[in-house]
Amino acid sequence: MVILSTAMGSSEERWSLTKEVWMLLWALVLRGAAAGSAGAAEYHWSGEGTNRHLESLFLGRCYEYIFLVNPDLRDKNCSAIWEAFKSVLRKSPCSVLPSDYDLFMNLSRHSIPRDKSLFWENNYYLVSAYADNTQRLMTLSDTLYGGVADLLMWCREENGTDFDYQSCPTEKDCENNAVDSFWKRLSSQFAYDSSGVIHVMLNGSEPTGAYPVKGFFADYEIPNFQKDKVTRFEIWVMHDIGGPYLESCGEGSMKILENRLKNMEYKYECINNYRSVKFLQCLDHTAHSDCVFSSAAESTQQRFLSLFGRKWDPILLVILFVSLASGIHL
Amino acid sequence: MVREGSPCWTQKCRGLLLGLLVILILGAVVVLSAVVLARRREPPAPLPQWKGRGSTAHLREILLGRCFSYAGLLHPELRKDCLKIWEAFEKAFISKNPCNITEEDYQPLMALAAHPIPCNKTLLWSKTNELAHQYTKVRGDLLTLEDTLLGYMADGLMWCGSPSSAEMNYQSCPHWRECANNPNSIYWKMASRIFAEAACGVVHVMLNGSISQPFGNSSIFGSVEVHHLNPKRVHLMKVWVIHNLSAQSSDSCSKSSIKELKSILEGRNIAFSCKGDHRAVQLIQCVGNPEEPACRAC
Repeated sequence: MVILSTAMGSSEERWSLTKEVWMLLWALVLRGAAAGSAGAAEYHWSGEGTNRHLESLFLGRCYEYIFLVNPDLRDKNCSAIWEAFKSVLRKSPCSVLPSDYDLFMNLSRHSIPRDKSLFWENNYYLVSAYADNTQRLMTLSDTLYGGVADLLMWCREENGTDFDYQSCPTEKDCENNAVDSFWKRLSSQFAYDSSGVIHVMLNGSEPTGAYPVKGFFADYEIPNFQKDKVTRFEIWVMHDIGGPYLESCGEGSMKILENRLKNMEYKYECINNYRSVKFLQCLDHTAHSDCVFSSAAESTQQRFLSLFGRKWDPILLVILFVSLASGIHL
Repeated sequence: MVREGSPCWTQKCRGLLLGLLVILILGAVVVLSAVVLARRREPPAPLPQWKGRGSTAHLREILLGRCFSYAGLLHPELRKDCLKIWEAFEKAFISKNPCNITEEDYQPLMALAAHPIPCNKTLLWSKTNELAHQYTKVRGDLLTLEDTLLGYMADGLMWCGSPSSAEMNYQSCPHWRECANNPNSIYWKMASRIFAEAACGVVHVMLNGSISQPFGNSSIFGSVEVHHLNPKRVHLMKVWVIHNLSAQSSDSCSKSSIKELKSILEGRNIAFSCKGDHRAVQLIQCVGNPEEPACRAC
């Protein structure tokens, strides 16, 4: 294959140049094909791959926690905690057990303030907004051991010793994957170390039920609470603003939860749409009727008065307002 | 001078001379090493004692972790190089006099880490730190400086160096009362200026109506941000004056310092509107105080 003559060099030079160019092109094509097929083979788990910069994210969060969030923990050793976490790389991606994180747990474990634990199912964003980074309550993600890995993904390569950055197994692929085993181990510990009032936020608009009978709370948390350290369970069943209002306290799966905890001889209290959390939900729906506020209640009263076009007796006004207020009260 | 054939030019004599030479050289080496080691073992020049808290422990790891979190996990579309950002950050103040930091020192960092935010999304704040950030964290429709990379990375951290050391000063750093041109103050002043200059459309600001002067030039908002809004890009500022729930909110917008803000803005050709107690912000206040009378009927 001879290219058209150029201004430079003899015909022999041009031919050798052409040969080199074609060989280079051919090598590139081959390399591309190899990479493509290798890539296709690696993308075989159903979950996202290990986060880039996992170590920096992990260590940054660890140091942030022990020096800024809770300086009582400043003697913890973040590099040792990272090494213990990384030891999961010794196991293949579908053979990681919760107990493989025992050393990690021992190094990062810390006490949980009494009456401050918050457990949850099916409402991660609302729960973390409400907990407000340990200001109000503490979720598992607000502990040192949960915080370092929150929202992250990791696993080992199938045939290798490094992290797999292409894809990672989820429960769809296999039960004993690195991430699920991690959260199982941590959930058990967090429940075990909690004391006083145990708060639980559940989602009454979730079609599969507010209390999942198979889930982290049911399988790894409830079995590990310590009876002599828990004073009572306080459950909040929250409905999405505007509904659907599928389950409330005492209904459906909530009845199952109630029976289970009462059979275990725990004190049980359930509240629908706990007001404090409701205000937070209303932040995104300020104009919704579910979020009627005191200033709006006053304007409703004024509209009612103007309809009748005359001055009202103050006593009648009070009676009217009370009945109006009790009518709009959620 | 030794002549050939003289008694000293025997083998024994040569051996003695050689031996003496070796001993002399060894001795010189020993003395030199001792001097060098002694110099090394001397304690480094003591770091100056400032009145403010020292650099945050493990600042590098914390800042890098935050950068990777923001630019790697949350906003990969920004395509930021966190390692380069750290290098530029460090170079701005390491081995420098912490009372003599300038905006030029931070120029390379700001160029690497600054990023634009969409129009109508800027939320400025003054003396309402907690509420402003609780608001943006939950709503997400507005962004404070601390919700951009530059603010997110450095929020709550402290750093300073000293001319006699290549390390950060972890013992103490200058308080702004000791010197205004310290690494921390200059950083926030510059980042705030850039944030204000980049604002466009409608700009919101959350002020504290429960203090005597909700607006003043002792705050970054009053001294830097208000004066760096670009009137060609920003056409309206919406002011929210927030009160404690138990306080009256009646005429917060007619307070004298709010009027002062109004005249500054109008003098710069930026329209002004004011609202006492924005409902969304009151909702956040009610989360922590659900029994307050102002939080009834919800």
